[in-house]
Amino acid sequence: MTWDWAFVIKILPALGIGVWYTVVVTAAASVIALGLGLALAIMESVSKTYGRAFVLFWLELFRGVPSLVLLYFCFYVLPQLGVTVPAIPIGIVVLGVVYAAYCSEVYRGSLITIQGELRDACVALHLRSYTKWRRILVPLMAQRAAPALLNYVLSLFRETAVLFAIGVPVLMGEANDIGYEHFRYLEPYTLAGAIYLAMNLPFLYVLSRFKDKHA
Amino acid sequence: MLSATNFSQQLQFESNAVDDSMDEGGAAPHAKKMMWSIEFEKVSKSFGSHQVLVDLDLQVRPGEKVTLIGPSGSGKTTVLRLAMTLAKPTRGDIRIFGESILFDADKKGLSAAQESRIRRRCGMVFQQYNLFPHLTVLQNLILAPTTVLRQSKAQAVESAMVYLRMVGLQDKARSYPAQLSGGQQQRIAIARALVMKPEILLLDEITSALDPELAGEVLDVVRRVAHESRVSLLIVTHEMRFAREVSDRIAVFDRGSIIEQGVPEKIFTQPENERTRTFLQSVLDH
Repeated sequence: MTWDWAFVIKILPALGIGVWYTVVVTAAASVIALGLGLALAIMESVSKTYGRAFVLFWLELFRGVPSLVLLYFCFYVLPQLGVTVPAIPIGIVVLGVVYAAYCSEVYRGSLITIQGELRDACVALHLRSYTKWRRILVPLMAQRAAPALLNYVLSLFRETAVLFAIGVPVLMGEANDIGYEHFRYLEPYTLAGAIYLAMNLPFLYVLSRFKDKHA
Repeated sequence: MLSATNFSQQLQFESNAVDDSMDEGGAAPHAKKMMWSIEFEKVSKSFGSHQVLVDLDLQVRPGEKVTLIGPSGSGKTTVLRLAMTLAKPTRGDIRIFGESILFDADKKGLSAAQESRIRRRCGMVFQQYNLFPHLTVLQNLILAPTTVLRQSKAQAVESAMVYLRMVGLQDKARSYPAQLSGGQQQRIAIARALVMKPEILLLDEITSALDPELAGEVLDVVRRVAHESRVSLLIVTHEMRFAREVSDRIAVFDRGSIIEQGVPEKIFTQPENERTRTFLQSVLDH
């Protein structure tokens, strides 16, 4: 098998569409993962019994079941129960809630590092619980958790590849379709790998800058 | 330095105030009871099997400056933490201007809102400053006034700058706490407590984390507060010279109880309790 540049040029627009969907799915799922993860961490911290039990259940469920199983369940089983949702929202929500479980643990870890004295200061200044969380604890949690969260966003970006299994036209899905269509796999899969790597680089750069700044 | 004369004048003032109200209103004898700014009644506190405070009775008059001294672990800081509701007593009651911070009139526990309303008259400055590290000095100072007192931002900034000038750090408004020395951070922490206009200020070993030079600049600020305001001060410190200088009254703690209290001159020159003598000797020798 030889490398065919003409074929590469021919398939680039289709891969470009895959890149666009990959970016959209990553961005949307990251918003869910970061936001929901934060909400779970706060709920775990402020609640006594039921809230904690719910968070624990969430963590065990979504860290314990592979993403692919959840995707297939939502894509194939839910329609049989009368709930039909398009593939892209399913992909975004499943990746979002799975990574929310991981992110909540990161937030929770960073919350533990915030000294009790700062909470004492919040009491001494008579800050309401909402103000304490919004103005003090959440910014500090986010600041301290940022490198680890960025790692998870990076991981989520790579995991978007599994969405091709339910037909979402992410980069991996487009490469797969091109391969099937033309019975040539070398160029689409090689290009997909190279593009994933190239798209990773800005994240890695930001991460290294962040580590340097806070080392 | 607040002299014994000033102290007696203050007592005279309060005594007159009570007498005046009696004359005008002809109130029953129980109305003669002094309204303390803060009052601990038979307060005990245990951490597990370790009893930190034992049946503590302590009252502070409005505007009075009371310093708690005593060996480490004798329960001084716990008194301040209880007053600020950072800890709950095992037994007893604590009142701020006559209102319990633990129970309502039916002896039921207070809601968070009720508790917050009552203790809003208190402010506290901590040993480790506890400034919010991600906020600038000015943001540290205006956060509580804008969110708790509902001041406008312009109003809060104006007030914050007044207190920053008072502590001599008006040029540090845009700095972050990490860019300041320990002494500067502690002065900011004092200003942050004062912008809330507390009627009772609790100062918990505010110079313990500082070297002597930086401690001096912090103590100067507290001297100003002590001399120029009518705020009640409840101070925990190991700085005996400072305690003697600013206090109207000194309470000596040992093993969770007050073993002796009185005006600074008496405590430092003629202590009655043997343990007070031993304690003062050990700290003044160093």
